Amino acid sequence: MPAIAGPSSSPQKHVVGSRLEVTGGLRSAEVNTCRKRKLRSDSAAEVSSSTPVNSISTPMKWKSPRRCAVSIPKTADEEIKEDSNGNLASPVISAVKNLSVCLDVESKWNPRDEEQMKAVKEALHVSKAPSTVVCREDEQRRVSEFVKSCMEQNKAGSLYICGCPGTGKSLSMEKVRQQADDWAKQAGLPCSETVSVNCTSLTKTTDIFSKILGKNESGSKANGSSSPLQQLQSLFSQKQQQSSSKMMLIIADEMDYLITRDRGVLHELFMLTTLPFSRCILIGVANAIDLADRFLPKLKSLNCKPLVVTFRAYSKEQILRILQERLVALPYVAFQSNALEICARKVSAASGDMRKALCVCRSALEILEIEARGSIDQEPQGPVPECQVVKMDHMLAALSKTFKSPVVDTIQSLPQHQQIIVCSAAKAFRGSKKDRTIAELNKLYLEICKSSTITPAGITEFTNMCTVLNDQGILKLSQARDEKLRRVSLRVDEADITFALKEIRFFRNCLL
Amino acid sequence: MGKEIIPAAEKSLNLIRGRLCDPSYVFRPLSASSDSNYSKLKFIVSTSITEGCNNSILLLGPRGSGKAAVLDLVVGDLLEEFPDSVSLIRLNGLLHSDDNCAFKEIARQLCMEHHLLFSKMASLDENSQFIVAMLRECGLAHKTIIFVLDEFDMFAQGKQRLLYSLLDAMQSVTSQAVVIGLSSRLDADQLLEKRVRSRFSHRKILFLPPSREEFDGLLEHLLSLPADSSFPNGYVSRFNEKIKNITSDTRFKDILRTLFNANSTVNSLLKFIFRAVSLMNLESGLLSLENFKAALSSMQRQPKLEAVRDCSILELYLLVCMRRLEVKEQSAYNIISVMKEYKTIHDSFQTSDYYAQNVCLRAFEHLRERQVICYTENRGQSQTGEYRPMKLLISASELHQGMRSHACCPAILLKLLDH
Repeated sequence: MPAIAGPSSSPQKHVVGSRLEVTGGLRSAEVNTCRKRKLRSDSAAEVSSSTPVNSISTPMKWKSPRRCAVSIPKTADEEIKEDSNGNLASPVISAVKNLSVCLDVESKWNPRDEEQMKAVKEALHVSKAPSTVVCREDEQRRVSEFVKSCMEQNKAGSLYICGCPGTGKSLSMEKVRQQADDWAKQAGLPCSETVSVNCTSLTKTTDIFSKILGKNESGSKANGSSSPLQQLQSLFSQKQQQSSSKMMLIIADEMDYLITRDRGVLHELFMLTTLPFSRCILIGVANAIDLADRFLPKLKSLNCKPLVVTFRAYSKEQILRILQERLVALPYVAFQSNALEICARKVSAASGDMRKALCVCRSALEILEIEARGSIDQEPQGPVPECQVVKMDHMLAALSKTFKSPVVDTIQSLPQHQQIIVCSAAKAFRGSKKDRTIAELNKLYLEICKSSTITPAGITEFTNMCTVLNDQGILKLSQARDEKLRRVSLRVDEADITFALKEIRFFRNCLL
Repeated sequence: MGKEIIPAAEKSLNLIRGRLCDPSYVFRPLSASSDSNYSKLKFIVSTSITEGCNNSILLLGPRGSGKAAVLDLVVGDLLEEFPDSVSLIRLNGLLHSDDNCAFKEIARQLCMEHHLLFSKMASLDENSQFIVAMLRECGLAHKTIIFVLDEFDMFAQGKQRLLYSLLDAMQSVTSQAVVIGLSSRLDADQLLEKRVRSRFSHRKILFLPPSREEFDGLLEHLLSLPADSSFPNGYVSRFNEKIKNITSDTRFKDILRTLFNANSTVNSLLKFIFRAVSLMNLESGLLSLENFKAALSSMQRQPKLEAVRDCSILELYLLVCMRRLEVKEQSAYNIISVMKEYKTIHDSFQTSDYYAQNVCLRAFEHLRERQVICYTENRGQSQTGEYRPMKLLISASELHQGMRSHACCPAILLKLLDH
C-alpha cells in the first residue's frame, strides 16, 4: 500500500545516503562534520521530492528519535515493513540522531513565518481530506467489494455503515464512490449514477423518494397522480426496456433522521432494494450500531438484512499515524513526537474522534504562535533562539483547554453570596432528595450566613441570584406561580463544587 | 452662593452618562492587555480570515459580563482592517431558534449584504441551497462569512438542524466561515448532539469578572474628565481630584465590596455608577460619597422591608400575632384566631393599643393589598370571610429588621416577637 510505504521507506533512503559517510563522527556533534553531512542530507532530500523527514522528528532531547524510529514498525501492519525496520533499527537510530543534529543546526521551521504556519494549519484542518485514507483500509475494502459485486451481478443490495462521529465514515464513502467510478470505467460497465442525500436537509422524510426519483435516468418526473414512493416501486417491479441499465448508488448520510414513529420511510427505503427489478445499491450511514436490528426487524424476516460495516473509534496508534501522515508532506518539522503521542493518547481515551485530535493540534500550534509572537514584541531582532516546535507543554495546555469544563473556574470567580448559595445547594442535595423549593434553600443560606456573620441578602435578591445561577447552568429552576414555590435542583457535580471552593477555608469547613 | 446650576456640571453629567451607555468605550481599557478575551478572540478570527480556514468559537459567561460588547469591538476592528473580505450574519436564539425562521433570516441577510433580491416565498429547501451556494461563492472569492449566534443554547433545542448544517458546511474546503456562539450557559457545548459536537472545534473563551485592579482602572477611566478646552479650567482638576479622594476612601471600598458580593459583573457596576452620577449635585458640579451610598441602597432594595417600615402600629401588632401563631406550630390561622391571639396579648400585657374588630379588619385589608399577607389557596374547602386561612409573605428576619427600622415601633412588640 503506497500510504504505509512512505514513512518507512525514507529511513532507508537516508540511511543509504548517510551510511556512505559513516565515520567516527557518528556520535560527535562537531560542526564541521555536521555541515558536511548537512549538505549531503540536503541533496538527499532534494532527490526524493516527498521526503517525509519529519516523521523522524527533531527535538533537542535525544530520547525521542529513538522512540519515533522504533514506533514506526509498530504502526506498520505488514510483516515486510517490520522486518526491514527491525534490521535497520540500530543504524537508523544513529543516523537519525545525526540527521536530527544537522537539522537542528539548519532547521527550516520558523514559527514566526506566516506561510509555514499557514501550511501546517491547513494540513491539520478538518476540511482538508488527505490524499490517502489510512487506518480504514479494511472497512473501505469491504464496502468497495460489496459495491463491485453488486455492480458486476447487476443486483441490488443494501449496506449499513455505523460508527461514532469523527471516525471517517463520510471520508471513506467519498473514496469508495471514486473507486467505484474508476473501476466501472475499467471494467467496461456503465458508470453508476450516484444520489447522495444528507437526511438532515430533508424537510419531510418522504422527500428522499422524490430526490431518488429525480435522479432516475428514465427521466420520469414526479407527476401528481401517485406519490414518488409508489412510482419508484412500480418502476422497480417491471422489467426495464433497456437491457443494460445503469445501477444507482444511493448514499443516505445521517440516516437516523429518517426514523419516524412508524418507521415507515426507513422500511420502504430498504425494501426498494428487495424488489425484483430494482437497480439501486443503498448505503446508509448513521451513528447507532443496532439501527438495523432495532428499526428494521421486518427485513430480517424477509432475509434481506443489510450488510453492516462498523467503523470503530480510532485507537491511539491509529490517531498518531493519521496525524503523522498529514504532516508527512511538509518539508519541516513542527511537532515533537511525544507531543503528538500524548494528544493521541488523550483523544483515544476520551472518544476516539479524529476531529478532536486535529482540533487539539491546531490549538497547540496557535499557542506556539502566540508565544513566538510574544517574544517578537520583546526582542525584535535576533534569530530564532531555539528550535521552537510544539512541545509537550503546548500540547498539554491545548488539551486542558479543550477538555476542561469551565465550571470550576466560574465557581471560583462567582461573587461571595452566589458562592454561598452554591455551597448551600451542595449541602442540601447531598442525600436522596434531588430538588427543593427556593424557600428551603433560602433557609439553608441564612443558616450559613449566620454562622459566618455575613449579612444575608433579602429574599428578592436571593431569588435574583438563583435566576442568575440558573442562566449559567449551575442550578436548575422550575417554573411555578408562586416565587417561593419554585423548585431548585443542582446541575453541577458536588465534587466539582468541593474542588472549586477548596481554597477558601470557610467553604471547606462548610462542605465537610 | 445661589442655587444656579453650573453649566459645566450639566455638560460633564451628559459626558459621563454618554460614556456609560457606550459599551465600546467601557470595554476598551479591559481589552487593552494581550491576555484579555478581546485579543484572544481577535487572534482566532483574524487568523481564520487571513488563512482562509474555518473555525468555530463559543463565548461563555454570565449575563452582563461583556460578551456582546467585546464581540462588537472585535468585529468593528476587523471590518476596518479587512473591509471587503468580511461579511456578518447575526442570529438570535430567542428569535430564530426555529429552523425555518433561521434559514430565512440567514438568506435575507445574505441578500441584503450582496444586494440580491430576497423572496419571502422561498421554502426551506431553497433557502438552504441558496446558503450553500453563497458559502461556496464567498469561499471562491476569499470572503469570510462570520455567523454570530446569540443565545447559543436556544439553538441547541430540538433537532439542531441549523447548527448541524452550519458546522457541516464548514467541514468542506470550499466554504470560508467562522461561527461564533454567545451563551450564558456554561455547559452550552454539552447540550449539543454528538454529531454536532464532533464538528464543533471546542474553542471556548470564558468571560470572568475582572479583578479589583481592573475595576479601579475602569472607574478612573469612566469618571475622569478630559482636560480639553470645553470645560472651565479649574473645574476639571477639581472634579478629578474629588474622584480620586472618593475612590481611595475606605468607605467607598466597603460600598464596592457590598456591591460585588451580590453581583460582580461589569454591567452591574455600570448601573451603579449611572445611578450615582445621576444623583450628582448640579450646584457644586462634583460627585460625593453620599451619591454612591444612595445609589447602592436604590440598587439593593428590599421591598417587603419597606412595606413593613410603613405599617401602622396596629398592623404591626397583627403581624406579630401571626408570627407568634406560626411559632406555636399553628400552620393554618385565620382572622378569628389572630384576633384571639391579639386579645390574649392585650390581656396579659395590658397594652394601650386595643382596637375594635372592624378597625382590625381594615388593617388586614391594608396588609393584604401590600402583599405582606395573603390568603392561602385551599382546594375544595370554600370558606368565606373571616374563616379563610391566611399566611405571612415575609420571613421572620425581614419582619424583625423592618420593625427595628420602624420609626415608632413599641418596644413591647419586639419583646413579643423574640419570645
